[in-house]
Amino acid sequence: MNILEVESLRKIYPAFTLKDVSFTLEHGYIMGFIGSNGAGKTTTLKSIMGLAVKDGGTVRVFGEDFKENELKIKQKIGFLMGETDCFPKHRLGQITDVVRRFYPGWNAKAYQAYLKRFELDENKRVDELSSGMRVKYSLTLALSHNAELLILDEPTSGLDPVARDDLLELFQELIEGGDMSILFSTHITSDLEKCADFITYIKNGAILESCSEADLIAKYRVVKGTREQLDALRAGVVSCRLNAFGFQAMMETAKIPGGAGLMVEAPTLEDIMVYHERKGDETHESAAV
Amino acid sequence: MKALLYKELKLVVNPLFYAVALLSALILIPQWLYFIALLYFCFMSAPNLFTLSKSYKEVYFSATMPVPRRDMVKARVLTVCALEVLQILVAAVCVALKLTVMPTPNYIFMDGNLAFLGLAFVMFGLFNLVMLPMFYKTAYKIGVPVILATAVALVFAAAVELGIVYDVWFTRIFDGMQTTGAHIATLLAGAAVFAGLNIAAYRLSAARFEKVDL
Repeated sequence: MNILEVESLRKIYPAFTLKDVSFTLEHGYIMGFIGSNGAGKTTTLKSIMGLAVKDGGTVRVFGEDFKENELKIKQKIGFLMGETDCFPKHRLGQITDVVRRFYPGWNAKAYQAYLKRFELDENKRVDELSSGMRVKYSLTLALSHNAELLILDEPTSGLDPVARDDLLELFQELIEGGDMSILFSTHITSDLEKCADFITYIKNGAILESCSEADLIAKYRVVKGTREQLDALRAGVVSCRLNAFGFQAMMETAKIPGGAGLMVEAPTLEDIMVYHERKGDETHESAAV
Repeated sequence: MKALLYKELKLVVNPLFYAVALLSALILIPQWLYFIALLYFCFMSAPNLFTLSKSYKEVYFSATMPVPRRDMVKARVLTVCALEVLQILVAAVCVALKLTVMPTPNYIFMDGNLAFLGLAFVMFGLFNLVMLPMFYKTAYKIGVPVILATAVALVFAAAVELGIVYDVWFTRIFDGMQTTGAHIATLLAGAAVFAGLNIAAYRLSAARFEKVDL
């Protein structure tokens, strides 16, 4: 069952356009939403949540149209944008006392359990928490109103490697129960290698790829060879870099000619993103095929 | 809606705003421009309420909660109205004191009487009608809306005071330390105008806020 279906989502700003963004997230999985800075990740998430008023397209969550059932759907969504820094001078207890009133299904026991687990002190003010603790407090609130879908915008971007790892482990633990699905955006692709089942990649406001992580990795290969070999590979090269020894390029796996004597290896998510971002880049134009 | 009002009360309204309401007691000063005592709301509470709210990222916080945008606006309009009514209530207590204990009239400007309270309601209604829809066009720019709305409130108060100083008809209807039917009617009509202007301010603000990208 698809827990989130985004179809032809469009948002037009004077200097940026989200172009018919479509993807789906299945129930019980983690989807990583990647793209470089300014690619449209936050705009997409904001448009999904109705924070940005979309100019076209549909968003269906839990099988229902988001716009028509917004309040009902939001009861089951935990949304977090970057570091939580609303009401920075208020104590966590004061904020929780307000937040719980918005959710009839608030689970006080779960809230206390997560506070204890994350070692959060209700008497602390928001701005006394580290970035990681702020994210954990937001997750505590989301998990205490029994959210079934977490939509997180760059939750790991301000965290140190240990805090990031903790958080990613927590994500995996959350979906193991089978009741939770997570869509989170990031430009730190190594996060996704640790926990994402599906990857959606956005570039310049348009979706470039949306599939399982394994399929995405399998679709491309990093190819190395001499400059002479490069001439025979014009079709299928995403982008390439020339160096003193020859070239290094990313190609679609299906388009790699057999028996060409090339060095071929599987790309990382970072490779896929970097090569795609360099496609058509003027500074590499001279080096590109 | 209850949750939004609770949020306003617990997280947004600073207790100092209640202290600003106490400034209405300046009405007890003899021979003064009493509207100024009420205008402290426009000078202090209104800009601070919205600036604090902006620094707290309150709009973003509320927008992620399961509530309609219209209710977010409604909660804020009700909060502003509640603080204004509080300002007028403190003024009302002082007016009652003046009418009963120290009934010396104001020889130049408007007397502190029931008509004054009615006109204060109109002044706050106009203030809200200008400020709120202007603010909700962006949901973050508060400077110009507050300045313009305060200017409108000041012009209204100045017009009333000039009417009292120069116009006999105006003085006959609204001035005096003896409570008259006209004074009571002005108070009731003022309260009704306040309600009407705020309903209009809410509708305009909500319609604009629906289109704002957060």
